[in-house]
Amino acid sequence: MTRSGVRDGHGGFGLSRLSRRQLLEAMAGAGAVAVAGSLPRVARAQDSEANDVTGPFDWKRESGKTIKALLNTHPYTDALKADLGRFTELTGIEVQYDEFPENNYFDKLTVDLQSGQPTYDVFMLGAYMVWQYGPPGYLEDMLPWIQNPSATNPEYDWEDIYPNLRTSDQWNFEIGSPLGTGGQYALPWGFETNTITYNREVFEKVGVKPAETFDELIELAAALKEKAPGAGYPDMYGIGARGSRQWATIHPGFMTQYSREGGKDFELVDGELKPVMNSPVAVEFTQKWAQMIRDSGPANWTNYFWYDVGSDLGGQKAAMIYDADILGFFQNQPGASAAAGKLAWHPGPKGPDGSLATNQWIWSLGMSAKSKNKLAAWIFLQWATGKDHLLRAALEGNHVDPVRRSIVENPDFQAKMANNADYLTTFNAIIEETKILFTPQPRFFETTTLWAGALQQIYGGADAQETLDDLVSQIEEQLEE
Amino acid sequence: MAQTEARRLQSAGVQVTTDAETRQVTWGARLLQWFLDLLTLAYFAFALFPLVWMFLLSLKPQSELYSTYFRFSPTLDGYRAVLGIGGTEEIPFLRFFFNSLVVSVGAVAVSLLVGLPAAYAFARWKFRGSESLLFTLLSFRFAPELMVIVPLYVIYQRIHLFDTRLGLVWVYQLITLPLIVWILRSYFQDLTPELEQAALLDGYSRTQAFIKIVLPLVRPGLAAAGLLAFIFAWNAFAFPFVLTGSNAQTVTVGALSFLGGAIPRYNLTAAAALISLVPPLILALFIQRFLVRGLTFGAVKG
Repeated sequence: MTRSGVRDGHGGFGLSRLSRRQLLEAMAGAGAVAVAGSLPRVARAQDSEANDVTGPFDWKRESGKTIKALLNTHPYTDALKADLGRFTELTGIEVQYDEFPENNYFDKLTVDLQSGQPTYDVFMLGAYMVWQYGPPGYLEDMLPWIQNPSATNPEYDWEDIYPNLRTSDQWNFEIGSPLGTGGQYALPWGFETNTITYNREVFEKVGVKPAETFDELIELAAALKEKAPGAGYPDMYGIGARGSRQWATIHPGFMTQYSREGGKDFELVDGELKPVMNSPVAVEFTQKWAQMIRDSGPANWTNYFWYDVGSDLGGQKAAMIYDADILGFFQNQPGASAAAGKLAWHPGPKGPDGSLATNQWIWSLGMSAKSKNKLAAWIFLQWATGKDHLLRAALEGNHVDPVRRSIVENPDFQAKMANNADYLTTFNAIIEETKILFTPQPRFFETTTLWAGALQQIYGGADAQETLDDLVSQIEEQLEE
Repeated sequence: MAQTEARRLQSAGVQVTTDAETRQVTWGARLLQWFLDLLTLAYFAFALFPLVWMFLLSLKPQSELYSTYFRFSPTLDGYRAVLGIGGTEEIPFLRFFFNSLVVSVGAVAVSLLVGLPAAYAFARWKFRGSESLLFTLLSFRFAPELMVIVPLYVIYQRIHLFDTRLGLVWVYQLITLPLIVWILRSYFQDLTPELEQAALLDGYSRTQAFIKIVLPLVRPGLAAAGLLAFIFAWNAFAFPFVLTGSNAQTVTVGALSFLGGAIPRYNLTAAAALISLVPPLILALFIQRFLVRGLTFGAVKG
C-alpha cells in the first residue's frame, strides 16, 4: 500500500512516517486551530476593503499596479495565460505568476498562506480547500466585492454561474452548516464533473452498452475484461478508477455512485457530526465497489492516481473509467493518445431512486486575505471568472466544463464539443444534480484519506463491515481531537 | 621421477598438489569466477534497468507512451521539446538547468571556501567549543527541511532573497557545508602533522605549509567531498521548491512541470531527467582519478 504523497515526487525529507503533504496539512491544520482559538476567524463583511470602493466602476482604476498569482499547471491555466495580455490592455494591471504542477501546487500554496506574509495576491484552489484555508482566515470573502457595483463591472452576471458551483465555495465554517451559507471564499472558474467515459470502438466490438444500474456496471466491467482481449485489445481491463491512499480516490467515481446508492459520509446528531460510512447501504456498496475493481480493474489499483486512470483509457488498457469527464476529453483530442477520437461519455448508473447525484471538483480562484493589492486582485478575479475571458478560453483553449450556463449554451461552444460523443449531453443530464456531496468540515483531507485506506483494505480482502466500523471509530477520534 | 620427487617433498612436510588436483582446483576456480561474473552482470542489468527504461521512455512519442513497452517509433521530439528546439519553449527547462548549475557550483564553492579552513582547524586543534561547533554543523542535517522551511520562507521574503539564486546558494550551505567539513576533517586527521612540522622547520609559514604541503595531499578528499556536495546540491528539492518562484527554479522542481496539465508527459520528464544527469556524471568522470586516495598517505608513518 502506498501512503498519501509518496508519489508526489521527492520523498527525501527525512520523514519516515509522514509524507510531505501530510506534514504540511498537519501544519496548516495546527495553524487553523491556533488562529481559530485566539482570533475572530474571518473578517466580517462590513469590515471588508470592498466597502472602501466608491464611484462608478472603472477597469482602469488600478492601472499601473502589479499582482502576483500562483497557478497550477492545467489546460484551464494555459487558456488564462494566453489571454493575460488582453487583461493588461484592458486594465493596465500586470499579472506576474508562478506555476507548479498539481502534485506540488498545494504544498506551495499552504506554505505561502501559512507564512502570514503571502507572496501571492490570487491563487487557484479547490472548493475543499476553502474548508481548510478558510477557518484560519487566509481567504478573502468575495461577497462584499461582488455586491459592490463600484467594484464589480455591471456585466459580471454572478447568477450566470451554475448555482451549485457558487454555493460550493461558500461556507460559514460552522460544523453542521451546509455549503451556501456564509462568505464566498473563492470564485468558481472551471470545474469537472464525474462520469463514465468509455471506448466506443471496444464497446461496439464486444457488443455492449453503458450500464444503467450499479449491478449492471459490475457485470459490464467483468464482461469487458473477459471479452476485450479477444476483440483485439490485449491486456485490456474493464473499469478504471483511482485507488491510491488519498482523498482523491474517494471523491470522483466512488463518491458519485456511493451517493446515488444512498450512502452518506456524515450525519448531524445533536449538533455533532457522526460518520456513517459503516451504514448498511455504505457497507454493501463499498464491498461491491472493491469487488468490482478487484475483478475487473487494473492490477496495481492501489497506486492509481488520476493520471494513471486517464493514461490507461488513452492507452486502450481501460475499456471505461469512472472519473472526471475532462480526463477523457484530453485523451480524446487528435494525437493525444491511441484512443483519441474513440471516446464517448455517459452519466453512469442511476441510483435505485433514479438519482444522478454527482460529485464535482471545482478549480476556483481565491484572494489572500492579507493581500496588499485587493482591488487590483479583485479586478483580475472578476475578469478571469467573467463571460468575456471564459468564453474565449472555452472556444480558443481547452477550458471545457465552463462554470457559466451562457457558455455551455453558446452555439460555437456546442459546435466545438460535437466531436466528443455525448460529452455535452452527459454534462446537461447531470449538471443540475452535480454538487459537492461531502459534508464540509476542516478535517476533510484526513478523514477521506482514512476512508481511502479502508477501501484499499477491503479491496485487499478485509471484511467490509469490520473495516468500516474501524474507520468510523478512527474518524470519531479525529473529530473529538 | 615426478612421483619420487613428490614423495620426497611430502616426506619433507611440503604440501604437494597432483596434476589432477590442480585441474580440479582450476575448474573449481573458473566455475566460481563465472558464477561471480554472472552475478555481477545480473546486478549490472538490475542497476542499469531504470536508466534504460527512462531512455526508452524519452524516445517514445506521446501516442505510444502507454500502449507499448519496447516496440515503438523512436523520436527525439521529447528532447527537442524539453530543450525548446524548433518550437515555442513551453517550459523553460534550459533556464532551470542553468539555475541548477549556478547554485550548485556556487554552493560548493562557498562551502569549500569556508569549510576547508574550518575542517583543517577542527582536525588540528582542540579549542573551546570545537566539538559543539562540529556537532552543530552536523545537526543541520538532522532536522527535516520541512521543519524550518516556513520560517525560512518568511525570512527570505523579508530580506528579498525569495526566488533568487543568491538565496539558494546561501540556504544550500545547510546541505553542503556539513558534508565538506566532516569529510575533509577526517582526511586532515589521517594526514600526519609531522609533514607540516617538517615544512615549518624548513621555514614555511603555517599558511604556506597548508597551501603547499597539506592541500595537495588532500586532493582526493577535496574531490570526493566536492563531488558529494555538488550531487546533494544538484538533487536538492525542498529548498528550491519552497524558496523559489519562476526565476530561480532548479531542474529538480522544473522537471516535474512536465507531469502537470491535461496529460502527464512522462517522455518529456524522462528526457529532462536524463539531461539533468549529465553534469554530475561529467563531474564524476572528470575527477574519478582524484577519488583514489594517493599513495602519499602513510608515507612517513612507521
